[in-house]
Amino acid sequence: MTKQYAFFVDAKRCIGCFTCAMACKNQYHQEPGVHWRQVYPLNEEIYPHRERAFYSLACNHCENPTCANVCPVKAYYKREEDGVVVHEQDKCIGCGNCIRSCPYGAPRYNPVLKKAEKCSFCYQRLDAGLKPACVQSCPVEALQIVDLAEFDNPNAVQYPAGFPRFTKLNPSVRFILPEQPRMVTRSDV
Amino acid sequence: MSMELPLVVFTVSAQAAIGLVAISTVRQFAGHGPLGKIRQEWLFAAAVLAIGLLASLFHLGHPLGAPTVLNHLGTAWLSAEAVGAGVLLAVVAVAAFTIKGGVNKALGIIAAVLGLLVVYFMGMTYSPPSFPAYNNVLPFAFFLLTAAILGPALASYFASQEKQAMLARWLTGALLVGLVVHLLAPCIWLSGGTVMRETGMAFVASPLYWARIVLGLALPLAVMVRMKSIPVWLPVLLVAGELAGRLLFFMYSIHTASNLGGIY
Ligand code: SF4
Ligand code: SF4
Repeated sequence: MTKQYAFFVDAKRCIGCFTCAMACKNQYHQEPGVHWRQVYPLNEEIYPHRERAFYSLACNHCENPTCANVCPVKAYYKREEDGVVVHEQDKCIGCGNCIRSCPYGAPRYNPVLKKAEKCSFCYQRLDAGLKPACVQSCPVEALQIVDLAEFDNPNAVQYPAGFPRFTKLNPSVRFILPEQPRMVTRSDV
Repeated sequence: MSMELPLVVFTVSAQAAIGLVAISTVRQFAGHGPLGKIRQEWLFAAAVLAIGLLASLFHLGHPLGAPTVLNHLGTAWLSAEAVGAGVLLAVVAVAAFTIKGGVNKALGIIAAVLGLLVVYFMGMTYSPPSFPAYNNVLPFAFFLLTAAILGPALASYFASQEKQAMLARWLTGALLVGLVVHLLAPCIWLSGGTVMRETGMAFVASPLYWARIVLGLALPLAVMVRMKSIPVWLPVLLVAGELAGRLLFFMYSIHTASNLGGIY
């Protein structure tokens, strides 16, 4: 397998602090209401505890990206060297087709530029030998960057509950499931 | 919830024009009798398609960039849809201006086949994986039905008296199939996963859906069964019904990303 960068989301560690989403905002200054990375609490049907669990999600830099396939002006390309899916905003005509079509809701509409935009995996930072802003900011190392060509964590899951399964796209993201909280009762003490 | 008005106008107009030229071509070469006001019919179809294409530009953040949609004919159905509709407009316009007695046979057939292809491209464009309720053949079926309903309905304004009965039969058939498909689709969605079920629930809970079923399909069907000819007011009601149906299509298309963190 060729090099494919992926976000590694460790829900066991994530404390839902939104620092990753804010770091992305600080880096790219998206318009109000526009988020490239968002932290989603797991629904109680999936995680029925008083404590909450979260997935921090952005673009998944899919192996077969729908965004690139549907864009009528070829504003997307997938980098050969690391599989990062890049949106070239100067080519975009704001038709909204990628926004409508990506099942992970990663491309967002910029109402000021009247164009789409999305997570770029901070490829300029990657090229400079730095980590993506979100990964660097996470205080508990719950968000990491891995290369799927070498990644072999046996506990990692590609499609956990709460994350839609689209095998044709093959999203480049891996998860560690949240831990069940330990119930402490009087008899344990 | 987004109304996507330019897309509502574009898709319904294009499908009405396609239905009209397809019906006109078939009418011309199948069956006997005078052709009716054929030049006006093709000019009308060209105007409706042109209005639709113009409306589609209002959907773009940068309408001046529209010509660059030629760049991705390889995989983007939207490119095929836009280019196909543009070429179709040229064919219909040439056919309209070269009418002598009837439409040039080759041009008529090319327009009808290309029109069907454009409906197919539209069906593919609006069935992405992000809308489970639409990620199948249904958008194509909906769009084909719009063409099959509005085609004969609008053709009744231009066809000769001798061909009105044929148009009435086609319209009755299309309305019957349309009623069944539009009643069944949300029922099937209700048995799907979370997002598909939400789409079905949004449809059946919407007064617009029921108004469209009753006024846009059931009532016109009853009128057709009773009268066996197309009354002059009916096409107007049918156009309104199709516009309402398309508004629903875009307003209640529930996206998979709306449920991130929930059960799919
Ligand atoms: S998650 Fe969506 S935007 Fe990102 S690469 Fe996949 S299809 Fe494209
Ligand atoms: S909004 Fe821009 S990037 Fe997205 S499909 Fe349209 S032209 Fe391509």
